[in-house]
Amino acid sequence: MFDLRTNQEWLRDLNASGESQEHAITDLRDILLRAALFFFSRNLGDFGGLSRDEILQRAEDCAQDALIAVMQHLPDFRGDSKFSTWAYKFAINMALMAARRERWKGVSLDQLSASSESTLSEWVMQDKSDGVAPEQSAMQGEVGEIIREVIEHDLTDKQRRVLLLMVFNEVPMDEVVRHLGENRNAVYKMLHDARRKLKSGLQARGFEAGEILALFGTPG
Amino acid sequence: MKKDRFETWLQNIYHTQDEEISCTECFDLVSSFVELELSGEDSTAKMPQIKQHLDQCPACREEYETLRDLRRFEDEGGALSLDDLQDLIH
Repeated sequence: MFDLRTNQEWLRDLNASGESQEHAITDLRDILLRAALFFFSRNLGDFGGLSRDEILQRAEDCAQDALIAVMQHLPDFRGDSKFSTWAYKFAINMALMAARRERWKGVSLDQLSASSESTLSEWVMQDKSDGVAPEQSAMQGEVGEIIREVIEHDLTDKQRRVLLLMVFNEVPMDEVVRHLGENRNAVYKMLHDARRKLKSGLQARGFEAGEILALFGTPG
Repeated sequence: MKKDRFETWLQNIYHTQDEEISCTECFDLVSSFVELELSGEDSTAKMPQIKQHLDQCPACREEYETLRDLRRFEDEGGALSLDDLQDLIH
């Protein structure tokens, strides 16, 4: 109902000039705004301090930014999905970043980073046993210590910082990206490298996947 | 860290691959992945690297879930106009 053009018609009209292009851009902007509003309607909790008009304006801004991104990436569209599906993801990406920025705007990630080392120590000391047998509890403690050792000694400063912010403090990735002045790919790679080191560290000490997941009550 | 979150994290550690695709590569392909899934095809079997990335990356996963739900909603005949969607913001 909202996407009456075929993929070829979208490309033809957006690459045209004059009225055809103007109509196509107006229609594209509308479907991008729909995607941003769809995301916002599911995440209203992120906008606690904003009025309805301010939230709607944020959605308009996301649609505008997404429109620019879609037009820039138009040559990359290969036609292996509906054009609207391909375009929606740009608006959803903008909406997600805007929502998380709003939710975390008053939080100092510098302070969170500074307190993360003690957060890690407290976490290792926490009882994760949940009423299990003493022997199992002791093994869980051993796993906690291995994880702490790897984090403290094997990770680079940046890997440790990203891991502690995202995993232990539940900071959204895009906020960490903004805080560090990096991009998603770089932050994902830091997390990936940290996971690889943790996996190697646990396996080197004899903890294989099935055993450790069972130890903490997780089916493989 | 809560118990269920810790368990998920442990699973993520053990499901780590030596080579994983980047967020940009995932973004490029996620619309195809969603359409495969919604058409009833085995998207995981056809695009295992996308599934692996979505399991590991919370930001990409959230975008994927929103895209999938929006498309599913439309495929099922949910035709919210801009006015309808604006009314959901309150």
